[in-house]
Order: sequence, then structure tokens, then C-alpha cells
Amino acid sequence: MPRLRALVGSFRQQAFHFLSAPSWLIPNIIAPFVITMVVLLMYQEVTGSVILYAVLGGGMMGMWGNTLYASGYSIQSERWWGTIEAVLVVPSSLIWIIAGRTIWNALIGVVNGLLVLVISVVAFGVPMDIADPLMFMASFLLTMFSLATLGLLFSSAFVLTRQAGVLTNGLEFPIYVASGCLFPIALLPAWAFPFSLSLAPSWGIDAIREAAGFAPESSVWVTVLGSAPQASFILPDLAMVVLLSMVYLALAIVLFRVVERQARLTGELGRV
Amino acid sequence: MNANLAQFGRVFWSSAVIAKKALFSWLSPSLWLMQMFTMSLFQIAMFWYIAQYVNPARSLDYVIVGNAMQSIAYVAVFAVTNVTGEEKESGTLPAVLVTPANRFAMFVGKAMFQVVNSMATVAVAFFYAIVVFGLDFSNVNLLTLAVVITVTCFATVGFGLMLSSMGFYLRTTMVLANIFLFMGLLFCGVNFPVSDLPEFLQPISYAIPMTYGTDAARLAVEGASLADPAIIGLLSSELLVAVVAILIGYAMMLTFERLARGKGTLDMF
Repeated sequence: MPRLRALVGSFRQQAFHFLSAPSWLIPNIIAPFVITMVVLLMYQEVTGSVILYAVLGGGMMGMWGNTLYASGYSIQSERWWGTIEAVLVVPSSLIWIIAGRTIWNALIGVVNGLLVLVISVVAFGVPMDIADPLMFMASFLLTMFSLATLGLLFSSAFVLTRQAGVLTNGLEFPIYVASGCLFPIALLPAWAFPFSLSLAPSWGIDAIREAAGFAPESSVWVTVLGSAPQASFILPDLAMVVLLSMVYLALAIVLFRVVERQARLTGELGRV
Repeated sequence: MNANLAQFGRVFWSSAVIAKKALFSWLSPSLWLMQMFTMSLFQIAMFWYIAQYVNPARSLDYVIVGNAMQSIAYVAVFAVTNVTGEEKESGTLPAVLVTPANRFAMFVGKAMFQVVNSMATVAVAFFYAIVVFGLDFSNVNLLTLAVVITVTCFATVGFGLMLSSMGFYLRTTMVLANIFLFMGLLFCGVNFPVSDLPEFLQPISYAIPMTYGTDAARLAVEGASLADPAIIGLLSSELLVAVVAILIGYAMMLTFERLARGKGTLDMF
């Protein structure tokens, strides 16, 4: 119960922080939104479903952008405000406090992703013909869950560094590239496949695209099987999303224990 | 007159030195290098793959040069826009403004290290462009490219200073810095020609110095010399836009400082 109270309390605190300065949504959404616009303009000579491909990728980027910034700055802000020691000294483990914030950020991430989709559809008239709306929403939410667990994993590393902001900026584009949110990962060199396939968002965006009705030629499974899958790959995609999310979560729990101890030992937690 | 000039120079130089020291007391050199060596690589990679996916038959050089030049924005727009915001967050802005030092010399001096930083960043980006992404560099006019990069770095830092002046009044410059960091991708002819934008948006492109620098860099890579009328035209326009941006920025700085003093919001963030 005390853990749940800590989680709910930090969720509420994060919500209040967000509502006190909602303009912070702009840095999170601006890169995915602008990149989606750029890609739509690059796709001008291409018609049909490829445009929806880009827009769905933009939505995924919107969710990732939010998760990454929020996980990086949830620790960094405490440092700037001089409150990080007070947060660490409470009886609840740091992971429950960060998890509460992550859940709030995940909710905003969904809004963020949907906002990119809606603006693209309205401003560019992209047809939003979703083949399987139910699986589309399920894939969208599971992808967000996987991004939240990935954010939690990164948060643990951010506790140890006073340069979380720089790392946050540096991790944005690598994940966009590796997850193939705007192009099939089959275009990447073969040595990059293991990294791409270890990212839950790569599978998540694959499931989202199949639910939207995309043919399997550009699927992640092409890099695994060597050819396009014959059967539906949406459930295996979602299974990979859940499996990888669980791995991230388990790693985050272990890392938070190690990092918390390390931070107390070095005494450099509050160094800005 | 001479005493004023000497004081201007002293404030300018000490601000530049302090800005460099402040950066490395906060950011470890290894992380600074990591940032410099990874940011442009992944940005070019992202648009290189997208361009390949959209139209594999088309030359990718347009996108490679555009994104290599755009890497300047990470330093010259993002870092410079945050100059005032960072003073505010560190609680040092009132202390800095209470000195009789010339504001213009102080803030331009603070931004000067970022000119050097952005030159290094774009050099790394062109290294990747040639070695990793196979940019055709066989016809390049190196002197023209070097001049284009230098002018663009100064001009973009000037543009960043204009944005930074709003930091006197806004609670944070981070939002503004993020917006303009990525706006360049859309407006500056980085991945597609400015003429592909809707007509009503095109004037915005020509109000940003980077637009001219990106086009000039493409010409330099194709072998245009400094005497080429197109290069002269682009660099003159870029410098003109930068000078106007700095003058507008200075006027905005004085106005916003007065407003913030009047409302007592100078150190509110």
C-alpha cells in the first residue's frame, strides 16, 4: 500500500507540474511534428498509403519524444530545484516515485502521438483508413506502455548523471533511426538489426502499421525471416512488445536499486 | 571613444572566455565530444534513409548537404537561444544586468564560443557526409565551402541572439530554442527546396540566414567559386539577414529588459 500511495502521489505531483506549465509539451512534440511535416513534404511525389506510413511513424515519434524528455527531466528538474535528496530520503523506493511520473508522462505521450496524427490528417488531408481500429488502438496503447518502460530504464541511468538533459537530446534521433518509425528497418545495415529488434517500439510501430492495413513487405519480420511473412504478424508483434517491455521493467528495477545505492555512496546526487 | 572601444573589447572577450569556462564546468569534455560526433550522424542518417525509401532513384546529395549544414543549428540556435535563459535559471541574470558593462558586448561575447563550436560541429557533419554517406566531393571548392560555413555560423549565431533576447521576458527560452532548432528542417531548404513549401510560408524561409547558407553550401560542393554571382548573392543576403536579426535582437533585448524590470519578472522562471 505505501508503494501504491507513493506512486499515486508522484503521479498527482507530475500532473500538477505539467498543468502549471503546459508549454513544456512544445519541446516534446515539436521535433516529431516538424519531422512528420518535413517527411510529408518529401513524400509529395508519392501518393497513397506511404503517406499514412509516415504519419503513423510521426505519431510514434511524438510518443517517444515525450517519454524521453519526461524521463530525462524528471530527475534533472529535482536537481535544479534542490529537492532530489529529499525525494531519495523518503522510505519509498525511487522506482515507485519515478513510475508514478512515468505513468502520467505516458498518458501525455498518447495525447502527443494522437495530436501529431490529427494535425497531419487535418492539415495535409491524409486519409486515415484504419483496417482494424480495435487492434490499432491496442497496438498504440501497448507501444506507449513499452515506451514508458524504456523511459523508466533510461531514468535509472539519468539518476547518476547531472547531464541528463544532454543525453536526452542525444537519444532522440538514434531511436527514431533504429526503430524505423519512418522507413523500414530492412534499409539499415545488417549489423544494426539486433539493436533495432531489441527496441520494443520497432515491433510496436510494426503492429500499428499492420492494424492500419499495411502489406507485410516493409515489416520488421523481413529482417528476421529474410522474406515477407505469409500470415498475420500483428499478434507476434504485440507479443514482442510485451516481452521486451517486461525485460526493460526487470532491468529498471535492478538498475534503480544499484543506482540508488551508488548515488548515496558518492554523495554527488544534488550536484548540478 | 578609444576608451569606450577598449572597454567594449574587454567585456566582449571576458564574456567569451567565461562562456567557454562555464560550458566545460557544467558539461564534461567527453560528453561534449560525444554530442558533437553523434548528433549530426543520426540526423543525416534519418533523412538519408527516408530519402532512399521515398525515391531510391534520386540523388541523396541534396539531403546530405542540407542536414550537414543544419547541424549548425544545434549549437548556433539551441545553445545561443538559451544564453539568457540559463543566466535566469542560475539566478545570475540580475547580477549580470546590474553591472555597467555594455549589454551588446556581453551577450555577443557569450555567444562567440558557439561560433567556434558550430564550425567544429559542421566539420564533423561533412566528414560523415563524405565517409559514411558517400557525398560526391570530387568537384568541391574548399575555399568557398569554408567561407560559406564561416559566414553561416556567424549569421546563425546572430539569429540565435535575437531569439535569446526574448529570454529577458519569457519564463524559459527552452521552448523557443526547441521550436527554432527544428523549424530549420522545415523552412531552410534542408531536405527539399523552399519552393516546395506553400507560398505563404516561403517568406519565413528567407528571414532565416540558414536558408541562404544551405543553398550556398550545395553550390560550393558542386564547385562554385567565391566569385560566382550566385554565391555572392547568397552570402550577401545571409549577412544582411543576420545583421538585421542582431539589430532587432538588440532592440528587443533593451525593450524586454525594461519590461521585465518594470514588472519585476526578470528572474522569474
